[in-house]
Amino acid sequence: MSSGGKFRVLRALLSDPMGALGLILVLLFVAMALFAPWVAPADPIKLNVMEKFQPPSLSHLAGTDQLGRDLLSRIIFGARTALSIALTSVGLAGLGGLILGMIAGFGPRWLDALLVLAFDSMSSLPMIMFALAVITIVGPGTGTLILVVVLVSIPAYARLIRAQTLSLAGADFIVAERAMGASSARILFRHLLPNVVGPLVILLSMDVPIVIMLEAGLSYLNLGVRPPTPSWGNILYDGYTSIRAAPYMVLIAGLPLVLSTLGFTFLGEGLRDALDPKLRRGAAR
Amino acid sequence: MTALLSIRDVSVVLPTGGWFGGAAPLNILAGVTLDLMPGETLGLVGESGSGKTTLARAILGLQPISAGRVRFDGRDLIHSAGFKAIRPRTALMFQDATASLSPRMTVGDAVTEPFSIHGVAVRNHRDKAAELLAEVGLPPEMATRYPHELSGGQARRVGVARALALKPALVIADEPTAGLDVSVQAEILNLMADLKDRHGLSYLIITHNLALVRHVADRIAVLYLGRLVETGPTRAIFAEPRHPYTQSLIAAEPKPDPRKRRADLAIRGEIPSILRRPKGCEFHTRCPLAEDICRTTPPALKELGYGRSVRCHFTETTTEGGRHELEH
Amino acid sequence: MSEAVLSVENLSLRYRVPGGTVAALRNVSLAVRQGEVLGIAGESGCGKSTLASAMIDLMGANAEITSGAVCLNGCDILSLPRAERRRLRGREIAMVFQDPMTAFSPVLTVGAQLVDFQFNLDGVTGREKWSRARDMLARVGLSDPDLAMGRFPHELSGGMRQRAAIAAALLMRPAVLIADEPTTALDVTMEAQIVHLLRELQADYQCAIVIVTHHLGVIAELCDRVAVMYAGEVVEEAPVDALYHDPRHPYTRALLSCDPAGIEAATGRLPAIGGRLPDLSDLPPGCTFAARCGIATDRCRTVPPPCVALGPDRSALCHEVAP
Repeated sequence: MSSGGKFRVLRALLSDPMGALGLILVLLFVAMALFAPWVAPADPIKLNVMEKFQPPSLSHLAGTDQLGRDLLSRIIFGARTALSIALTSVGLAGLGGLILGMIAGFGPRWLDALLVLAFDSMSSLPMIMFALAVITIVGPGTGTLILVVVLVSIPAYARLIRAQTLSLAGADFIVAERAMGASSARILFRHLLPNVVGPLVILLSMDVPIVIMLEAGLSYLNLGVRPPTPSWGNILYDGYTSIRAAPYMVLIAGLPLVLSTLGFTFLGEGLRDALDPKLRRGAAR
Repeated sequence: MTALLSIRDVSVVLPTGGWFGGAAPLNILAGVTLDLMPGETLGLVGESGSGKTTLARAILGLQPISAGRVRFDGRDLIHSAGFKAIRPRTALMFQDATASLSPRMTVGDAVTEPFSIHGVAVRNHRDKAAELLAEVGLPPEMATRYPHELSGGQARRVGVARALALKPALVIADEPTAGLDVSVQAEILNLMADLKDRHGLSYLIITHNLALVRHVADRIAVLYLGRLVETGPTRAIFAEPRHPYTQSLIAAEPKPDPRKRRADLAIRGEIPSILRRPKGCEFHTRCPLAEDICRTTPPALKELGYGRSVRCHFTETTTEGGRHELEH
Repeated sequence: MSEAVLSVENLSLRYRVPGGTVAALRNVSLAVRQGEVLGIAGESGCGKSTLASAMIDLMGANAEITSGAVCLNGCDILSLPRAERRRLRGREIAMVFQDPMTAFSPVLTVGAQLVDFQFNLDGVTGREKWSRARDMLARVGLSDPDLAMGRFPHELSGGMRQRAAIAAALLMRPAVLIADEPTTALDVTMEAQIVHLLRELQADYQCAIVIVTHHLGVIAELCDRVAVMYAGEVVEEAPVDALYHDPRHPYTRALLSCDPAGIEAATGRLPAIGGRLPDLSDLPPGCTFAARCGIATDRCRTVPPPCVALGPDRSALCHEVAP
């Protein structure tokens, strides 16, 4: 039953052109990240100063940077960095938000009040300031980036889940479950969870590009991924500093950012329609 | 015969907020006493805001009771454990049948859910679902549908199938035909009557539809602002309603016959807010018979014999003469 | 007999839905005269609400009129330019909905909205508009109209809101008032009061009223003439007394016999109409009621039934009905 249900979501997603495009773009980036060592034409960190600032050509499809490194390879490996950071941090934040939000929405009222206070104080901190503070304390790096993103995004996700849970907790079908004698665990996991998780999945999917951008931004500021590890932000930074010598670098480094943002956003919007059984077409009527 | 369900002086009071708890608490139910015999259908009647639905939820322990007690099959239901123990033997049918079904669960999963909740082993869920659906006159293919794909009548039948899955003794039905067309309404009521005969159920039917209770209920209880104002056998109450409120309700029901048009109205105004309960008899603000005593002294529930009781100062005058006055 | 104020002539309307069309109205002809109350009865899915919205020219975006006309005082309003049509709404034809909450904006007071509804009343000062609104609220039976004017819609009870909605509809003295399930959301006691109010207002203002409802009791209380709809067609039209005491179409008979309020003896089992409504996107060739009809013949299942005149103001869409 459940596998049939999953296929139905996939079919609904593919029947929507935007959703299908989003899924293809996302899968493309994921494949790029997973198979980077096999796909990349050259070593992304191998220096070749002789060939610096080469415009795109047959030997270097995306050209080379100021140290003569193959840009296409750097972008492909950069996808690895971008996606591993974005997916891990958004996934962890989503899970945290889901758990805390459901506790706040379904648990005792005093706990709800406490959690809401925590969410509010957390989100009153400006994100960049908070990120800079954490980086100053812990030091820059991939782990720090993930920590910052998780801490900053949990309140938003938790609040969404809390609102959904609260509005459903009084719904007739939940009262019906209570009247039938269903345990709290059953109500939470079998009835509330499937109904609150949909909007979260969409939000998470749309937040992935924001985190990719944040990673790029912090790396651009030299506060994220340390060079020479390739990251889209580092490449962008390099392109910016040598914009006179090689204007194509900025454009090429910006392209994956734009495409992955579009991909995840389309996927999120497609999922929103596909996950809602009321919008599903072609289901038995 | 002992009552299957016995409710004694049940009150539900909700505290209202405010910084100093200064606002008056809301008493939604005020000392309701009722009995339901095995195999009986009791109709609980009243306008919206009369506390009908709260009473249903209080009986099932879904709404904490502030005072009074509920006994089911001779057992006092005091703690939540007591209510939990009776869950397999009671069922609640909702006014909005579609909304009472989990939106991401198929009909088949919904009707067999009571078994999984109570750990009752079922050999084959699909066969069991088909069997339950067949009992309410739905084809087995229906099991793969989602609630939003059902018509009002179908959702209602699924609700009945789920309510009857564990063969309960008591089914509480909140407006079982609200929103249904007359032709479908009859099908659902007949189905409920058939199932009652087959399984020896007792029904508590909550409705504002008097035409409906007249046909399905053995006894009627009329609620006004959370207080019982009249109870008795259906036939007797319709033949001779004794409380002015019951009389007005019966008179207000439009008759599907243009030759029986009413010249004037029996009842004016609206049910007062529960926040501002009138003093004395709570119905006096709308009662055509109200006198000074009604504005100051709350009447007690009087036994009239033959299982009837009425809460009115003028029980003696509310017979034919009083009704005559009401109609003019 | 006076001229028809509003008439629907041979109206057919369909909705475009994914994968086809739904024939919501088919060849509907009806008329309501000045000072008359016309009831449109039928069960859900029969097209009665679609007909009501077509009468006031407020169909959904996916509705498409395939034939026919809606005439106000003899002039086809569907062929008028859009601005003309909009001028008619509210001024000549007004509507009262099932849920009175939707008739008002939640962020403005009832008084402000009642004043605003009179925007195309020329040469009247704001103060006069306010007092007109106040008087109308008093007329529809709000006990303290001054207080109600300052209230927000959610601060009024359901019955008061419906009264205010009726006041809003009558403010411009329309020639026709269309009420779609005006009492369905209300309690019995409030329903009775609204029915009485409509009857009084009709006597006072002499406007034509069209009541659309599934509630046969409300129609019996209020209407002069009744049209019974089934699957997008008017299957029977008759004066109210004739319809209730001598129903001729098998569907009308079945519908009346189902109503528990019409059955005197208390009975545990009620009559029902077996079967279900035909699929409006794929209609049967003959009579749409044939599959559920007790007296259907082979002809009923293959040939669409004729509209048989049964005397003045009476007709039925049936093969088996004798004139």
